[in-house]
Amino acid sequence: SINPMEFNPDFLACMIPEVEWALLLEAADTLHLVEVPKGLTEGYEHNEKFLREMHQVLLEVEVLEGTLKCSESRGLFPISWGIPNMPLSDEE
Amino acid sequence: MCDVQEATKQLLDVNLHENWRANQVTESGPRSESEHLQVTIGATVPTGFEQTAADEVREKLGSSCKISKDRGKIYFDISVESLAQVHCLRSVDNLFVVVKEFKDYQFKETKEEVLKDFEELAGKLPWSDPLKVWKINTSFKKKRTKRKKINQNSGREKIDNGQGDKTVEKEDKKGFTKNTLDSHILDYYENPAIKEEISTLVGDDLASSKDEKDEKEETHPKVLKFRVTCNRAGEKHCFSSNEAARDFGGAVQDYFKWKADMTNFDVEVLLNIHDNEIVVGIALTEESLHRRNITHFGPTTLRSTLAYGMLRLCAPQPTDIIVDPMCGTGAIPIEGATEWSNCYHIAGDNNPLAVNRAANNISSLLTKSQIKESKVSWSLPIDAVQWDICNLPLRTGSVDIIVTDMPFGKRMGSKKRNWNLYPACLREMSRVCKPGTGRAALLTQDKKCFTKALSGMGHVWRKVHTVWVNIGGLHAAVYLLKRTPQAFVHPSEQDGERTPW
Repeated sequence: SINPMEFNPDFLACMIPEVEWALLLEAADTLHLVEVPKGLTEGYEHNEKFLREMHQVLLEVEVLEGTLKCSESRGLFPISWGIPNMPLSDEE
Repeated sequence: MCDVQEATKQLLDVNLHENWRANQVTESGPRSESEHLQVTIGATVPTGFEQTAADEVREKLGSSCKISKDRGKIYFDISVESLAQVHCLRSVDNLFVVVKEFKDYQFKETKEEVLKDFEELAGKLPWSDPLKVWKINTSFKKKRTKRKKINQNSGREKIDNGQGDKTVEKEDKKGFTKNTLDSHILDYYENPAIKEEISTLVGDDLASSKDEKDEKEETHPKVLKFRVTCNRAGEKHCFSSNEAARDFGGAVQDYFKWKADMTNFDVEVLLNIHDNEIVVGIALTEESLHRRNITHFGPTTLRSTLAYGMLRLCAPQPTDIIVDPMCGTGAIPIEGATEWSNCYHIAGDNNPLAVNRAANNISSLLTKSQIKESKVSWSLPIDAVQWDICNLPLRTGSVDIIVTDMPFGKRMGSKKRNWNLYPACLREMSRVCKPGTGRAALLTQDKKCFTKALSGMGHVWRKVHTVWVNIGGLHAAVYLLKRTPQAFVHPSEQDGERTPW
């Protein structure tokens, strides 16, 4: 589901550099999201369209039922009612 | 952002217009004397967090505070128009308006003389301004409590902690409630049996026109009901709080011709005596503000005021990531998400029941705000996850702030388990917390275990401050830690033995 959230461009501008794009795009793809930017572009902090798209995909889209897959360990974690269940074993 | 501000504005207009033939408080029109009404407000706050509360008052009201020697109380001056904002303070449990303060009261020698003095005192106090404030306060409270009334009564008696029916003798004043299970902990935590009704502010705006009519009809004086609550602390008093309350109350009754009623009162007069300091006040809150965010309780839910204080200690900056890895019912992250909405909050716990409760509390909060806005329901920057604190699914150095209430080993877990748990927690928290800038505020009653666990971690955690929290006899501490600049080194990369956990 998509839950609207107040748009805060400063918050996003700080968060966006931290994004792991490959993972984000893969997740967005799985969720069949369309309006997702493909990567960082120059001057992204001032690009309203870019920021709003990022706002939606990062903060507003919520997965209620599904599975999280760890890219490193390939572990699978179920999501139920919007809550992921992620106990890790010691080896990870 | 505060819903009562709208209500107050309306009511200030209504009340002042009727009662004092004054003009409206807005810029238009000539000013009245009531506009410049300055009062001293007293607030009870979790002991140990007086300074944090004072900071909030300065930030939000622009007033400086006096922190009382009587622990857990702060005082500040405001003009009466700011009353609504005072109710929006998140670090205060209860509010009262000061009638008079005696910094160095001279007690006479015998009990009879002291009590007689109290009786005479009643008629000499400057009641009128504080009563005006009380009246304004009551008016806008009526709107909010109308719909809560049904569910309120069962809850109120049990939670009542500081302002309650008990007149206590000693320093540990936040009294024991009469409830069954671990009542001394109840004071600190919420009663699991009570579900706070989602305060239905729905239709407040719609009903306000109707309510205003009720207000107008109610202005013929009716006999007010009151009671006196006396809190006394000090070694040298020759009287008990009950006696003081009784005699002072008797004089108040004669003076105002009010009716005394212990349970169903309109006015609660406070007589707070701490050694030689006496403060007479009138209560402005009947239920503590600290229950506000939590609708689904767990066995050990933290007071919102305490959660706020802990978060504030960490000085959250915009865009900070704030994590509570043992969130229980989510009191801390929820308080965080409402007050610091430009940060991102994550609530996690290993117990699926707890995580579910946290998620439910978040939903309730969203519903509440939806009703208020009566438009789109805004989501909050907060998420819930089920995880294991010793193995967090978070990247190393990705978290700015960690705030949590660690299992005391009394109601949750056990002391023995803490010996293993605490070091493991601290280690994992040091991994995810950002070196150099990260910080943590950790609440625990198991101070011995915590101190020992911390002692081996000087390379990653530096203890900056300790707040001693003493409520209802429970001696706990909030440790404020700073993450050192040293990067986290995985034990397997270290030489020597790998520490078992």
